[in-house]
Order: sequence, then structure tokens, then C-alpha cells
Amino acid sequence: MAQLAASTALAPALRAPADPERRAMLVFIVPAVIYLLLLSVFPFIYSVYLSLHDAKLTQMARKKFVGFENYVDLLTDPLFLKSIQNTAVLTVGSIALEVILAFFCAKVFLSLKENRTGQVMRSMAILPMMITPICVGLIFGYILNPTLGIANYLLSGVGIDGPSWFGDPAWALPTVIAINVWQWTPFMMLLMLAGLVSIPSSLYEAAELEGAKWHHVARWIELPAIRDVILIGIILRVIDNLKLFDIVYVTTRGGRSDATELVTFFTYRQQFQFFKVGYGSAAAVIILLISILVTTIAVKYLRRMQK
Amino acid sequence: MTNQNVGFKLLAAAFITFIFTAPILWMVLSAFKTINDIYAIPPVWIPDFTYLDNFKLLLSENWEFLLNSVIVTLGATALCMIFALPAAFGLVNFRFRGQEFLADWILSTRMMPPIAAAVPIFIVFNTLGMLDTLPALILVYAGFNLPFAVWVSMSFFRNIPKEVIEAARVEGCTWFQTFRLVALPLAKSGIATVATFVFIFAWNELLLSLFLTSREAKTFPVVISSFSTVTKTYWELISAATIIQILPPVIFTLLMQRHIVSGLTMGAVKN
Repeated sequence: MAQLAASTALAPALRAPADPERRAMLVFIVPAVIYLLLLSVFPFIYSVYLSLHDAKLTQMARKKFVGFENYVDLLTDPLFLKSIQNTAVLTVGSIALEVILAFFCAKVFLSLKENRTGQVMRSMAILPMMITPICVGLIFGYILNPTLGIANYLLSGVGIDGPSWFGDPAWALPTVIAINVWQWTPFMMLLMLAGLVSIPSSLYEAAELEGAKWHHVARWIELPAIRDVILIGIILRVIDNLKLFDIVYVTTRGGRSDATELVTFFTYRQQFQFFKVGYGSAAAVIILLISILVTTIAVKYLRRMQK
Repeated sequence: MTNQNVGFKLLAAAFITFIFTAPILWMVLSAFKTINDIYAIPPVWIPDFTYLDNFKLLLSENWEFLLNSVIVTLGATALCMIFALPAAFGLVNFRFRGQEFLADWILSTRMMPPIAAAVPIFIVFNTLGMLDTLPALILVYAGFNLPFAVWVSMSFFRNIPKEVIEAARVEGCTWFQTFRLVALPLAKSGIATVATFVFIFAWNELLLSLFLTSREAKTFPVVISSFSTVTKTYWELISAATIIQILPPVIFTLLMQRHIVSGLTMGAVKN
């Protein structure tokens, strides 16, 4: 495991504390490494251990070794499979929409980059992404509330009978995706702007002289320039979506017929509502394995970009 | 660009800005409405901004949780930076085997979903008798932000010319002196940026506080989430609390927008 190997990488430094150079390394780096080992490697090993047991959070002393039974149960648990499916739909759906919408938003603000009003509007349009996620959930819980929400009031004004956004199983997941897209499109847009401003204007002028249409420009000039930043954005957003919890926690709480049950939420409920920590830990281990996979790719790209 | 073209672009920009700000604004307006006005259909568009009862009610019962949030966030930020800065400095300036690997590993821990560590952390703090205490939250929040702080601080330390560090060493500075007297002052603004990010991340956190606290040490986000129950949702309290809760991130976004992209991409993308 990558985590375990980290401690062996430090072994030479640990062996020779007498040398002042090495002592400095110890004092500077080791505390942070130990901190992170305690917070990531230890919980991981402990989760694996728990996942092989039938254990209740309220009666930890009476846990019983059951081997891989939790994993077998989990992979045949319709709710868990549903939560994986929902998480996949959420991740793919949100990111696809974010990339497309962000591209158009970025184009608009790029063309206004010298315009004072445009700059002010851009700084306001990026507000959603740093706002506390539970507040984002509640803001939309309020707007989309079937009885007092303004969304359905406005819809009724044009003769549409608005659905119960979070209550209707058909609408719940799309609604959560829409909220997610609302919060994170500005991030993707800023990423793309960072890539787009690096395109020299001579390229645009040359394209214009050649009589290129807008989609030629997008395909042959703009997309190549922002490919790397889009990739980084997508990787980071995949990782974010695997962790998504807050928005669902304050809006649907899993939803009727589990329409918005996500892996994080599933795990949270098993562990802290039903106290089934063995079962929940098995789910946690599976989430971790998935995110280690994504992370390996992510780290490679982030390192390459930083240089 | 022709004037007409600019006009059209501004209109499009205004539309985009409206989409991304109007929902926030709508919640903000409701904080100044009476309960009746919140439930009124058709809606009350402009409230009486002198009506502050929602804030009074909210803070009279929950000010200590807001204080918890402030203490935990500040404490976690400070603790996180104390561990992160020397590590980042060391990872940039020391030469040792496995250096790149160690840095990558630190970054990879950033990606770990907190829920995967939840039960072990819970059990440890339970054993230590530290559940529902502020120090437990500070320790956990600092730890979860450590990878971010190390990695992004590294990019700022890397910007300091190698010659400057070497000169300090040749002059007889110990590594500690080089760090404190040379590197820290030169990376000052970068460090401030990192610390502000950590502050916002800790401020916004819900999940960890949700299971590590129950009564005394609840943070403000946990309190806000408790206003929405299965039977009743207290929108008047939620809207007032939302204003207070989102104020730091909003100010942060407006002031630090130049750094947001590079911060959120771990320094991979520069503005």
C-alpha cells in the first residue's frame, strides 16, 4: 500500500539522528508525516479490521470475526448498489454539465475581461463555490420547497405545476445534480478562464483572417489550450463527488425510495444511525479503494502541472 | 469589438451572474422577514431590513456555538500551519531518498473521503474521553487540512530562489534559522493565502463535527443543519444563520479571487 511505503521512505532519516542535517529533516518533516499517518493510515487499517467483524458501535466489546461476510452482504445489498449507481450518475452528470456550462460562461467573461462591469460581475458569479455546502443545500431547499418556495410559485405563474423537487423520486437526484452544478460551474469556469487568457490574440486574429467559424476556433484553438486545466478540474470534481454529503444531508436525507442515497450517506447511516460499524466499515473500505484509484491518477497530473 | 457586441455580452454576463447570485440573495432577504412573510404566497419581495428578531432569537440561543466555530476554525488553522510550514519547507529544500514519493503521498491523503476515517476517529476520541470537545475538533480539522497546506505551501517555498537559501546556509544559519528568518518572511503572502483557505475549509465543514460533537462542542454548521427536522423546518432561523455562516466565505471570495483557482487546484493552475 502506498501509505505504508511512506514510512519506509523515511527510515534512513530515522536511523541517523546524530547527523545535524538528518536531525533537521526529522524535526521539520516527521511531525507532519506522523500526524497524517495517524489520520489516514491508522483509520484505514482499523477500518479494514472492523470490516471483517460483526460489530455494533454501542457494544464494541462484543464484536465477532466474520471474515468477508460484510463484503458479500454489501455487494448484494440493493441499497448499497443503488448508492453506487447514484454516486456514479451524480458524478458523471454533474461534471458533464459543469464543463459545458462553464465553457460558455468562460467565453462570455473572457470577452469582457477588459470591461470593468464585466469584471465586477465575474467576481460575483463565482460566489457559490466557496459558500458553506449545507447553506447551499438549505438555500435550494428553501427555493424549491413545494409549499413556500419561490420556484414553484414562479412556475405556477406560467401555468406549470412544479413538482415536489426533493420528494418525488424521479426529480430528487436531478435536483441534487442541479444544485451541485450550480455550486461548481463557477470553479470550472475560472479554471477555463485561466487557460483561455493564455491564448495569444494573434491566434484569434489569424483564425478570423482564415475565415474560421466559432466552432473551428473552439475545436482547434481553445480546447487544446484548456485541455489540461479541464482534466485537472474533472479529476478534482470526481474526488469531490465521491465525498458529497452535506447537500444531501440537509435536503433529501437519502430521499424517498432512496432516490438520492449516495455512498457517503449510506456509510454514514450504517455507522452512526444504525451503529453497524462492521458493515459500514466495509462500505468505507470500498469507497477508499475507489478513491485511491482516482487519487493515483490525480496526483500524477497535479505533480506534472505544478512543474 | 463593436458597442452592440459589448452590450450583448454584458447582457449574457448579467444573466449568468443573476443565476449564480439570486438564490443566495433570496435566502439573505428572508432573514429579515417575519415567519408569516416567509410563508406568504405570493412572496414578500422586499422585507423591512430593520426587522432583526430572527437574528436576535438565533444568537440568543446559539451564540456559544458560533463561538465554538470561531475557536475551532482559528485553532485548527494555527495548528495546521505549525505542522505544515516546516514540512513544506523541508520537502522543498532537503535532499533525501523518497522525497517525491513522500510529497505525493501527502497530497494523496488530501483526497481521502473523511467518512472512511469516521468510525476509527470516533472510537479513538471516545476512548480518550474527548468526544464533544473543541480540542478533538481542532485536532481533526487541522489534520484533514494538513495535506492541502503542505502541498500549496511547497509551491510558495519553491518560488524562493535556491541561491537565497544557500546563501543563508553558507553564512552559517542553521536550517531552523534559514526557515524562520529567510524563508518565512519571503513566503509571507503565500502563507497568508494558504492559512485563509484552511480557515474557510474548516469553517465550512459539517460531517466530522456531526459525529464528533453532540451538545457542548457543536459547531455552527451542525446547529444550522439541526434547524431542519423531519417535522418542522425553522426557515427564519436558517436564513439568519446562513447570512452569518456564509459571510466569511463571501468576503474571502471577493478579496482573494486571484488565488482561488491556484488554491483549489493545489497550485497546479495559476491565474
